This record gives sequence, C-alpha cells and structure tokens, in this order.
Amino acid sequence: MITLKDRYGYMVWMREFELACLEGVPTKEIHGELHLGIGQEAIAAGIAGFLRADDALTSTHRNHMHAIAKGVDMRSMLAEIFEKSTGICGGFGGHMHIFDKRVKFSATGIVGAGIPVAVGHAHAARLRGTDAVAVAVIGDGAVNSGAFHEAMNIAGVMQLPVIVVVENNEWAISVPFSASSATPTVAERSTAWAAFGEKVDGNDVEAVAVSFKNAVDRGRQGGGPSIIEATCYRFRGHFEGDSDVYRASEEKEKRRAEDPLRLTRDRLITRGDSTPAELDQLEESIHAAIQDLLTQIRSDSYPDPADAMQHVFVGDEL
Amino acid sequence: MSRNLNVSQCVAESLHIEMERDPSVVILGEDVGRHGGVFGSTRGLQKSYGPDRVLDTPISETAIVGMGVGLAMDGYRPVLEIMFVDFIGVCLDQVYNAIAKNHYMSGGQIRMPIVIKTAGGCIGSGAQHSQTLWGTFAHLPGLKIVTPSNPYDAKGLMASAIESDDPVVFIEHKGLLLTRAEDFPYGADVPKERFTVPIGKAAVVRSGNDVTIVTLSGTVVSAYAAAESLEDSGISVELVDLRSVVPLDVETVELSTKKTDHLLIVDEDYLSFGLSGEIIARLVERNSLPKKVKRHALADVPIPGSITLERAVVPNKESIINAVRELVKKE
Repeated sequence: MITLKDRYGYMVWMREFELACLEGVPTKEIHGELHLGIGQEAIAAGIAGFLRADDALTSTHRNHMHAIAKGVDMRSMLAEIFEKSTGICGGFGGHMHIFDKRVKFSATGIVGAGIPVAVGHAHAARLRGTDAVAVAVIGDGAVNSGAFHEAMNIAGVMQLPVIVVVENNEWAISVPFSASSATPTVAERSTAWAAFGEKVDGNDVEAVAVSFKNAVDRGRQGGGPSIIEATCYRFRGHFEGDSDVYRASEEKEKRRAEDPLRLTRDRLITRGDSTPAELDQLEESIHAAIQDLLTQIRSDSYPDPADAMQHVFVGDEL
Repeated sequence: MSRNLNVSQCVAESLHIEMERDPSVVILGEDVGRHGGVFGSTRGLQKSYGPDRVLDTPISETAIVGMGVGLAMDGYRPVLEIMFVDFIGVCLDQVYNAIAKNHYMSGGQIRMPIVIKTAGGCIGSGAQHSQTLWGTFAHLPGLKIVTPSNPYDAKGLMASAIESDDPVVFIEHKGLLLTRAEDFPYGADVPKERFTVPIGKAAVVRSGNDVTIVTLSGTVVSAYAAAESLEDSGISVELVDLRSVVPLDVETVELSTKKTDHLLIVDEDYLSFGLSGEIIARLVERNSLPKKVKRHALADVPIPGSITLERAVVPNKESIINAVRELVKKE
C-alpha cells in the first residue's frame, strides 16, 4: 500500500531530479534541447506503484518522471542525460531516448509514436496469456496525431490492456489545446474506440492514483483500453531556452502558484499525516541524495569517440 | 526432396517453418490472415497458428509497425506486412526513427528482430504502386535490405531474415510473385526442408568474361534473358545478383569486374542518389574502378501508368541488351 506521504516522496524525487538536470544547461554539460516536467509531478507520482516489471510503459520527450515512476535507476538515467558513458544507454540515447529493458520502459522523441508501441506490448501480453498491461504516457499534442487514432482503434477493436495517460498541460508548444482539438476534452473521444475515458485533476496525486489503479485493474481483468486525461500545467518552457512568450505572464504566475507539491504537502499536514518538520526532513534528505548522484555522475567518464560506430547492428560491438 | 515452387509459395513455406520452430514469430498486417496475403505469401498460416499470431489488422500502417516495435521489445520476432512498399510513406517514422535506431539509441540493450515484408516493383500499376525504394531504406542506417530474385533465395533469405537479430526489410518483387515456377531460368527447384541463404552475400548466377552486370530482384530475370541473348551475338556476360542492398557485397562485384573490366549496373530503383552510384563510389574508394562503367536504372521520373510509358523508363530485357552493347562499343 502506497501512502500519500510515499507519493509525496516520489514527487519530491521527481522535482529534485529535474532541478538537477537543469543545473547542466548553463554549464553546457547537457547539449541539445532539454524538456523538463516541473509542475506535472502529480501525474507520474500517481502512476507509481501500480505497475509490475512485466508491464510496459512508453513515454515521451518529457520522460524523466515517468521513468522514475516505472523504477528506472535514477543514477544511470542522470548519467545518460549528462551524456556520460555510465548512462543507461551508454550515452548513445540522450535525454529523449531513455530505454530500460529490465522494467520495459522506453521513450521516444517523436510525438505520438509511443502509443502504437504500447499496443504492441499489450498484444505481447495477450499472446503470452499473462495479465500484464501496457501504458503510453503522452501529452495533449499527441492526441491529434494519426498514430493516436490508429493505436486507439486497434486497442479498442482487440480490447487490449492499454492505458493511455494524457498529460494535458494545455499547450502543444505554443498552440493551445482549445485551438487544436475538435472536442473540449480528450476523455470524451474514448467512446469512438470502445475505450473507457476519464478526465481527472492531474494536480491531485490521489485522484490520479485512483483513476490509474482502476484502469490497470480493468486492463488486467480483460476490460479493454482506457484513456486517462490528467490536467496539469507545464511550469517551464517547452524546452530549456524556450522564450515562452506565447503564454501570458499572468497565466503562468497564477498556474505556477497551484504547485502540486505544495498542494500535496498541505494535504499531508492538514490531515495530520505528517508534521511540517517531518516533511522538511524528507525534502532535505531527497535533495541531498539527488545532489550526491549529480556529484557522482559528474566525475564519470564520457563515451569513447572510438565507440561511435557500435550498435548500428547487433554484433557491431563484438 | 525438391519441388518446383513459385516465390509466394516459398515465402509462405518459409514463414510456416519459422513459425513452427519458433513460437516468438508472429505476423501482422493487412489481409495476411483470412486472405493469406494479396499475393498469397502468407496463405495457410492463420489456419495453422491462429488469429493472434497471424493478425489481420485494420489499414493502419503506423500502428502495424509501431506494434511491431513493442512486440520486439517484448521478446517477439514480428513479421510486419506492408502490402506495397509504396505505402511505407505513411509509417516511415516508426521504421527509421524506432526500428532502425532503437538498438543504437539504447546502447545495444534493445534488439529489433523485425522483418518488414513488403512488395515492390513494376507490373504496370502506375506511380504509387510500382516503386522498389530499396535505396530509400538503404540510406537510413540500421536496416538490412533483402530482395530475392528467385524462389530458392526467397525461401532461404526469409529464414535468415526472421532469424536475424537486426531489422530486415524484405522486398518481394511483384513481377516475380506473379511469375510461374516453370518460367524462372533457375532457382525454382526448392528443397522442402529448412535452409538459409546468408544475408549480405551476392551470387554469381551466370559466368562470363566480357561484361559484368550487377543487379538484383526482378531485373535479375530480365538480365539473365538479356545475357543469354547477348551470348548468341558473341558477348559473354557475367551476372551478379546482389540479393541484398545492405549489406552490400562489393567484394563479389569487384572480383567479377577485375576479370571483365566492364560494369553495367541495372537497378529498378531510381537512378540518382541510389544503389548504382553507391556501387561505383565504393569501387572508386577501393581504387578498383573498371575501365568502362554504365548505369541503367529507373529514370528519375514517377513511374507512368500506361505500359508504353512504363517500358520507356523501367529497365527490361531489350533495354539491358542495348545498354550492354553501348558499354562494349569500341570508341
């Protein structure tokens, strides 16, 4: 049983992890665009704990927190993001392409591309005759891709155990959801694919957890696919360096004030589950642990340039 | 024991043998199950292995290929049918951003033992149903590209493709799929038992001394007929069937051209930026360019609808004969 305090712990790990990544941008330790999920922690933390190692999860360009929820090792993921040879993909992937075969986690930098991959995992579970489920976490931008429709239709017609979690942060880079979706919600589209659909407050980690647990149970019991639309707000730009002029300052200020970490912390204190001092201590210990990981991976080596031609084909590395 | 079999029978038989010996082999695609494939190359499989292992999908190529990626990451060996290679445009993202790259991007953790089984080549179907496109795939690192020219190779190369831990694009030539076993000059005498033909090894299918023709897939048959005809007029042709574009067996080409010093490359894919230029570039880099070299490929135009127009731009027996004569003409 995962308590609310446990989920708060996940959220703090996720926030601290993203902040650690952020440190690598001005120092130019991380090249290319970095997409952080700060502000969206309650969704990933709500997913945490319900999936087994044989359940698959496919994620997006903004994937670190989903990886943490799935049990991907944080040290080797941080090393990958900081482009080190000790990274989970040996430095061949980079932050958008985290793979962990051990827990069936994968990410893609192509919007919408992870959804049919999750359907493939779900079909694998059916072929094997197990009750494993497959989860695709996507953003609201991906629901307008052809891949979303194709994958949902197959999941629906085959009634496969697929759970699509849509992190609806209302902005596909600069285009608002209201201007790009024919329907006011994603959840209401679910009937088109014989799927269960539900919209939840993605700032409320407990609401996400209840909805996600029900979807997983439904999938395991042969109840077919689910779409969970979890509303949230991206606190930072689309990527680090995004001028983010397309969102009004007042909007950003107002929405950042609704910080899911603060909401969860307040709830723990109000309920009498934890004291402020206990939570301060929890936050400090996680901060210290992530900073320790950052220190460790900073002294790791970079990949050997001589290895760049490895891994194109199996056997190249022999 | 050997029998006379056509290409689609050989592909179906190979798939049957591989599915029998390896329960992780599954097939997904349009019309692969109940119908047995529009060219019959999956016939009988759904009856033997059931609708989950031989899955009739909706017309959703992105989902077919994406599901293949998930199945491969989950320990399966999917064979994904894209009915005509021309349709790859609607799902190329999954092919070149996932299938071709996942092994590399994961630092070797993830394998993609996937066969993309598809049909290409000209049979008079116009611009959107006639291409071969192997040069397009070959340009993208991480894919092996195989295209057999006869029933024997079709069976043995399909076994190798399924066995491969790397992704393989397996292009069946539509003209060959529609050719009767008795009309192949060789290769229709096919053992019943399982065998493999290694991926990446070209075959010298006819020996000669004056000119080397390098080609693959459907034009092997027309080049073979051209070579027989040229022999009668005193031009001795050595014919090399590449069998795969990636890996490209340039060593076998080089061995032959060292003898003939004349090279004609016949390619049913587009002329520019493709296989024919690549072969020549590799020979140049090896300091091994023959005295005379000529390219005879599909002209850089969309493939026209009317058969008189198609014949004007696609290599065929007569155009190959003319190209060889041109090549050996004394200055």
